[in-house]
Amino acid sequence: MTFSLLHATDFADRLLYKIIPPLKAGMIVLADRYAYTAFARDATRGVDRQWVRELYSFAVRPDLALYFRVPIDMSVDRLMARRVKLKFYEAGMDLGWSSNPVESFRLFQGKVLDEYDRLVDEFGLEVVSAVGSITEQQRVVRALVSQQLQINHVEIPDEQPA
Amino acid sequence: MNNQPDAPQSTDAGASGDIQAGRYYGRGIPYLPIAGYPGKLIAIEGTDGVGRSTQIQLLREWLEVKGYGVVETGWTRSPLMQPTIELAKSSNTLNKLTFVLLYATDFADRMEKEIIPALKAGFVVLSDRYIFTALARAGVRGVDRLWLRNLYGFGIAPHLVFYLNVDVKTLIARVLAARGMDFWESGMDLKVGDDIYDSFRAYQSKLLKEYASMADEFHFRVVDARRSIDKIQDELRKQVAAFLEPEATLKSEG
Repeated sequence: MTFSLLHATDFADRLLYKIIPPLKAGMIVLADRYAYTAFARDATRGVDRQWVRELYSFAVRPDLALYFRVPIDMSVDRLMARRVKLKFYEAGMDLGWSSNPVESFRLFQGKVLDEYDRLVDEFGLEVVSAVGSITEQQRVVRALVSQQLQINHVEIPDEQPA
Repeated sequence: MNNQPDAPQSTDAGASGDIQAGRYYGRGIPYLPIAGYPGKLIAIEGTDGVGRSTQIQLLREWLEVKGYGVVETGWTRSPLMQPTIELAKSSNTLNKLTFVLLYATDFADRMEKEIIPALKAGFVVLSDRYIFTALARAGVRGVDRLWLRNLYGFGIAPHLVFYLNVDVKTLIARVLAARGMDFWESGMDLKVGDDIYDSFRAYQSKLLKEYASMADEFHFRVVDARRSIDKIQDELRKQVAAFLEPEATLKSEG
């Protein structure tokens, strides 16, 4: 619970200082992770799904939400290849499912991915396959973003100089 | 999320007065089932400077003499959050939403680490302030009431809630005599004016109104806190005894 609430506090702070002001100014905000991360991660830690959704109801609904999906094995392989030291909470070590960090990461993040799959339909996330190369992924992302910008006719407001 | 067309409108999953004592108010903490725990939760509510801590101190001594195990818990006293909350209060970056969430985190920590374990072990938990303080302060600051009640759905409905009720005039005299008015207790963050006295008066009047409306909503036992310390304590003890030992109380009265 405290893990969930501390992240929500951080999110509220960033929403009010870093996200809403640029949106008001007509700018595009790119968020690396959003409330969906909390929905997936907190539910995996056993927090009530609906409660977390209600908790974040103060958030702005994104115009476009991209979910980069990758199988758990590939995720582990990539991290191991870079010899990344797995973080305690990222590996879900607090849950005590395994004393081996890699095994714990696999179990925990595997469950997190299952939660993300629920979110895809519930919130209409655009799934981008993160299996391919960066160039391929970027092509998909650019197509989705361009489409979104056309729909919303995003223009920089041209203010008359005083 | 905002504008979500099919968002379930749950009006029945948050804190309300219809929940049986000792149960979670709303969706609870799924990984901590509490059904059947023998402990009792007693909350003492009331605004700043009304005399809560004095009453709790006396109540605690009396209960311990009677042989009860007593655990005290109080607002913003969690080891996890207290330093953070003090730090955040001293800067100018807090807004009403982050304020609410920091308090809720503190409360969640005390729920998991103090209140629930104590109830499990059969203690009487005396809570100096409870979720109603959060609901009142945030309510005055215009935070959505339904959202707040859902947020605190992980709280446990206390067995008894005593509300130490006072009028703003008495309160002002007491606070001035004791220690003076402080920035947050005066609601200076609401920026209604530069004068701390006027601000204190306006802010505390609004808080008292919030508490009064919750007194019905959550079935507070309202105690007149304008009386002497001893008189108030007598009333608290009588009611606590009637709750903890209904048979003994009946006998001694009969």
